Amino acid sequence: MSEPIVIGAVAYTPNVVPIWEGIREYFADSAAPMDFVLFSNYGRQVDALIAGHVDIAWNTNLAWVRTVLQTEGSCRALAMRDTDTRFSTVLVARAGSGYSGPFALKGRRLALGSRDSAQSAILPVHYLRRAGVPDTEVELIRIDSDLGKHGDTGRSELDAIRCVLDGDADAAAIGVTTWESIGRDELMPGALDAFWRSPTYCHCNFTALDSLPQERSEPWVVKLLAMDWAVPEHRRILELEGLRQWVRPQLSGYAALFDAVKEQGIPARW
Amino acid sequence: MVILDLVGAVGRLAEGAVASVPVTPAERPTVERWCEHTGNTVVGYDKGRVIVRRGRAPDPLAELPADRRPGARLWLYTNFDCNLACDYCCVRSSPRTPRRALGRDTVRRIAGEAVKAGVSELLLTGGEPFLLPDLDELVSTCVAARPTTLLTNGMLFRGRRLAALRRMPRAGLALQISIDSATPERHDAHRGAGSWARAVAGVRTALAEGFRVRLAATLTTTDIAEEAAVRTLFADLGIPPDDQVLRPVAHRGFADDGVTITTDSVVPEITVTADGVYWHPVGADDADQFVRRSPFPLADAIAQVRTTFAAQRSATNAQAQLFPCA
Repeated sequence: MSEPIVIGAVAYTPNVVPIWEGIREYFADSAAPMDFVLFSNYGRQVDALIAGHVDIAWNTNLAWVRTVLQTEGSCRALAMRDTDTRFSTVLVARAGSGYSGPFALKGRRLALGSRDSAQSAILPVHYLRRAGVPDTEVELIRIDSDLGKHGDTGRSELDAIRCVLDGDADAAAIGVTTWESIGRDELMPGALDAFWRSPTYCHCNFTALDSLPQERSEPWVVKLLAMDWAVPEHRRILELEGLRQWVRPQLSGYAALFDAVKEQGIPARW
Repeated sequence: MVILDLVGAVGRLAEGAVASVPVTPAERPTVERWCEHTGNTVVGYDKGRVIVRRGRAPDPLAELPADRRPGARLWLYTNFDCNLACDYCCVRSSPRTPRRALGRDTVRRIAGEAVKAGVSELLLTGGEPFLLPDLDELVSTCVAARPTTLLTNGMLFRGRRLAALRRMPRAGLALQISIDSATPERHDAHRGAGSWARAVAGVRTALAEGFRVRLAATLTTTDIAEEAAVRTLFADLGIPPDDQVLRPVAHRGFADDGVTITTDSVVPEITVTADGVYWHPVGADDADQFVRRSPFPLADAIAQVRTTFAAQRSATNAQAQLFPCA
């Protein structure tokens, strides 16, 4: 049996442990057995990937961008969730506010999540600028309540929503998964309306350095892609990780974030 | 806003762990819709808070072996009167206890519904069943439906009662006879003078008549040497280890002490008496173990106990997880 491939992941919730134990078990009898190492934040995980302490990192979109920038492109994305290919940001406001698009935010207060969250801070600012709403014309309220985890906990997004409901902000920028998890506008009727949704972009991916031989990574990727929603043991893992199918990466979905990181002067390492 | 509290609290949990958040009565439907929407589970409400488990609730029934799930073994108290007055009897049986017989019609209907209701084994007990004049008919009815065990003190195998015993089917029937000690003293002290010798004679009679015999000792001591001596006696009487049952006294009925058995602490073994359906045979004379008056439809009675047990076990599991966080 070959040496296990070591995967790095960030423990943004205790649920990460059963997820990765399940994934490790799935690979146990395969041609590409794996183990995993958990990190407390994406900064240390990317450092470990570059240092060769892990073979593959389960990266957020910002961690992917930062890996590309730090390695000058000597890395590759191996796979992602189907849900990672259609991520988006949602702008929400109190129901009945009558807002109809980013332009409505001119002169108003927008609550953003953690500054290292692509979905609730970096990309909202990017899309607002693209829509003709520069930072100078909207009051940005930043809620850095889960720094280091790139918004994975969703905590800063919930705090941003609370800001709106408490009247401390006129709108909030949140990821579509948070919007889904609070039940969109169905479970809180009369509380929040979504008034704009960004173009779709890509979120997480499995990242490897180019120094990881293809013959090591490919059997692992092939086995990963074979995880089947119809198989109950596989489905449990897929449900926990929030996908129906693993897919090959779609790198065009990161273009907006590369642009945003450059425009906003976000450092490649922290 | 309860949903934001839920997303925040439950999102920090591992699958199967629980959290509680404040909730008003008006918000409960919203909480339940959110759990349905997100695949989480409301465990219960307690003092203005809702307890939510991350993920779907495990089925407490699935954690039990199939033969221990409530309703798999169905106990029938044929009667409560007894020729003995054991000082630890969990249902207060004695010669002075009114009969309270289950009756032929009820036994027949239970046997008729048992298979469909998922019952895999019937167990007849009392009181002393051999005091009933129609016991052989009751036993035959039960054996025709499911494998059956008949509990007896084994002391009445004479005359018409021996004739009744001889009319009982051998296949599908086991007689479970009580012998509480290896020598007469301890057994007779609890069950009456001369009862040990008559029980041992009853065991020999039953074996000679070709019945499968199980022997059960209700131990009032935790003395390992006593247990070993009892097992030696049982083996000497020709009873294999799998048919030897040793159990402690339950603190119920006439017993002054013993193991505490409550509906919270024991997996139900559904029991039907003339008075109704009970949680467990050791509590079949106690109001706290009463489930419902009618055993029919039998499937409904079993479903009621299963539902209660599952909810109770889930809540207990949730509380057990909450304590370390308090």
